[in-house]
Amino acid sequence: MLFLSSQMSPKILAATLLIVGLVIGIAIGYFIGMGAAPAAPGATATVTETTTVVTTTTVAGPAKPQTITVEIWTIGPDPPSEYRFKNFEIAADMLNSWLEAMGANVRVEIKGEFYVRPVEWGEYKNKFYLAAKAGKEPHIYLTGHEDIGFLAENGYIIPLDDFIKEYWDVVYYDVIPTLWDAVKYKGKIWGVPQDTEVRPLYFRKDALRALGWSEEEIEEFPKKIEAGEITLYDILEIAKEAKDKGLVKRGLVHRVKEGYDYFQFYLGFGGRLWDPEAGKMVFTKSAWKKTLQWFHDAVWKYEVIIPTQFSGDWDKDFHGPFTKGEALFCSGGSWHKGEWIEKGLLSEDEFKKNIGFALHPAGEPGKKPVTLSHPLVYTITKRAEKEGLAKICFMLITLITDPHLNSFHAIKSAHLAILFSQIEDSRYTKDWFLHDVAYMLKYTTFIPNHPKWGDYSRIVFTILKAVETDKTFTPDKAFETLLSEIQRTLGDAVIIEE
Amino acid sequence: MLRLSKIKTRPSALWAFLIPSVVLIGLFFFVPVVLTFLISLTSMDYSFRWDWIGLENYVKIITDPWAPKILTNTFFYVGLTLSCFNVGLALLLAIITTHINEKVGAAIRAIWLLPRITPPAVYALLWLWATRRESSSLFNWVLGFFGIEPIEWKLQYPWLIVILVNGFVGASFGMIIFTAALKNISRDVIWAAKVDGASTLQIIRHIELPLIKWPILFVTTYQTLSLLTSFEYILLTTGGGPGLYTTEVWALYAYDLAFRQYGGISYFGYGASLAVFLVIIGIIASVLYLKLFRFRELMLEPKIEVR
Repeated sequence: MLFLSSQMSPKILAATLLIVGLVIGIAIGYFIGMGAAPAAPGATATVTETTTVVTTTTVAGPAKPQTITVEIWTIGPDPPSEYRFKNFEIAADMLNSWLEAMGANVRVEIKGEFYVRPVEWGEYKNKFYLAAKAGKEPHIYLTGHEDIGFLAENGYIIPLDDFIKEYWDVVYYDVIPTLWDAVKYKGKIWGVPQDTEVRPLYFRKDALRALGWSEEEIEEFPKKIEAGEITLYDILEIAKEAKDKGLVKRGLVHRVKEGYDYFQFYLGFGGRLWDPEAGKMVFTKSAWKKTLQWFHDAVWKYEVIIPTQFSGDWDKDFHGPFTKGEALFCSGGSWHKGEWIEKGLLSEDEFKKNIGFALHPAGEPGKKPVTLSHPLVYTITKRAEKEGLAKICFMLITLITDPHLNSFHAIKSAHLAILFSQIEDSRYTKDWFLHDVAYMLKYTTFIPNHPKWGDYSRIVFTILKAVETDKTFTPDKAFETLLSEIQRTLGDAVIIEE
Repeated sequence: MLRLSKIKTRPSALWAFLIPSVVLIGLFFFVPVVLTFLISLTSMDYSFRWDWIGLENYVKIITDPWAPKILTNTFFYVGLTLSCFNVGLALLLAIITTHINEKVGAAIRAIWLLPRITPPAVYALLWLWATRRESSSLFNWVLGFFGIEPIEWKLQYPWLIVILVNGFVGASFGMIIFTAALKNISRDVIWAAKVDGASTLQIIRHIELPLIKWPILFVTTYQTLSLLTSFEYILLTTGGGPGLYTTEVWALYAYDLAFRQYGGISYFGYGASLAVFLVIIGIIASVLYLKLFRFRELMLEPKIEVR
């Protein structure tokens, strides 16, 4: 071939290659440029543009619809919570079919992720902040309500009050009012509730039967807890008895990583986390003292919690022991029921027959039983606003804040309803478990929406883990350390009360 | 005699050779160190704001109640792992495997490389499984033959786990370097010693060890710096526990505060100041090693020339 032949002079060859390279480069650049054309600025503008495009199509043949891509990040980390993302795809399909039927030449495309374990919350949040720094955060970001303070304070998300006011009568009037408290910060609404849940104390009915309890006594157990007749120390006694008799290997299992479940023990001893009037977090000394004592006793005196529980493995130290009947109590969450069924660890029948659930007991007589809710919320990021997609994002969120769609999520993942009408939804009402745990919401508390909440949580986890793993770290020593660390790190952000 | 200092080199040629490494070191060492130092002068968190606070983070280190404990832990961890494994065991393995049958020696070295080529998370998990409290775990299963009750290794002997996990990986690096150095020693010298009636131990003590002084300096320095900044196996095994900061080392503390926050709160500023502190310790240790091993003498031109 002449083109590559040896007779060709090096100069001509170089010039030819340069020209070919330039042509290919320009062609690639042109096509990349086309693909990266900016998305439509917003819903209103889209309609105008659509008219123009449709007019053009009649002359030039069918034009490819313009695509608006909305990026969404959601997380389980439990796999059954997949509808946190899937519902957006359902909504987009619905929306696109309407747009098509109306002849609108624009489509919505959903991109993004639903993260599951081994990705945990910390990693997920880190990823978001780093992406935001690079301007690559998603348009819609699902997170725990407690992050709203930090996200809002640092300009990561936008307030939604105007949107909510505009669409109030469409669906937002129907949201269970207490959930709005969880998404408010400095008087504004920064998120839309996605779900909520309760954190029951599960127990093995079969182990209690083996312990000699009658069916009646077992059925009465949650009621006694609700009435405050069974306290956290009674739980230790029962667990110890079952373990000593060889009916179970462990008395109680709780979460194996940092989280918020264990704050229920503190709340059960009468502790407070939040002072709404002062807008500050609260540290109740007497409740923390008793909580630390209880954990120390549970591990080292009663020996019903294993010392490495806080650094264990979810399957080996939490799901496995409880679902196999090797642990009597499980301080879990309503979503764990969904996880056990989904993973095939328990069948619905086995669950009904052998698993019971109750509120988290009061710490001592005279105190109240508790549960803790941690509503997840959809937020709209600054990037969405910058790219003119905020309203489209909000419309998508509005579409999935629907009793039927949200029930897909609620039932599969065992989370609770966020809408009044959802409680009556045909899908939701069929789920006996969600119905039976709903009463616990009367006893619920939220964790604070404070930008420094993460510090409070980290310090508590560090100390509790140390109490469980080190016998010599006495409750008194632990309390002094906890108090001084809270004061040193949080200063004025926390109210210390007796 | 041709002396190195008398070689005339054109400055342009000198720079041509130097520039690639200068650029690499500049980009991947100096720029990050300068950036880390600048961040350490701020209160930066996930808001990524450069709020300058002067030396406040360094004052915080001095007043941090956990700093003395964590610093002691760090020296303990680096000192023990280095002396027992990364240099000690590495040297022992290199010497043994070069004094026995060559094929057997190579096989032993290959086995010691296994931890190095196993992905860190898998390797740490294997250790966790091997040291679980159940009687069926590897360690307890072996103890069972001697009638010893199962042990919760991670709780009762956390430092043993930390040092073994790191040491088994670390030993292979030195082993390879020392083996190469030992094999590089001229056989004539060894044969001459043998003819003079030197025993194997005397050959090791008086010929081999002095001749591999330079690789020992390199491995000691390199592994000290490496251990000072390594924390991943501690994170994956004991997580800095049990109890309060029992096996927490400086690098892990910096990582915990900067990145490992469940609630999404991070102290980049404070974490960076902890990292700068570690860089200072690393530089001091390096200078000390260079003095201790008489680095200047090592780099001098030979007093005799063998043609």
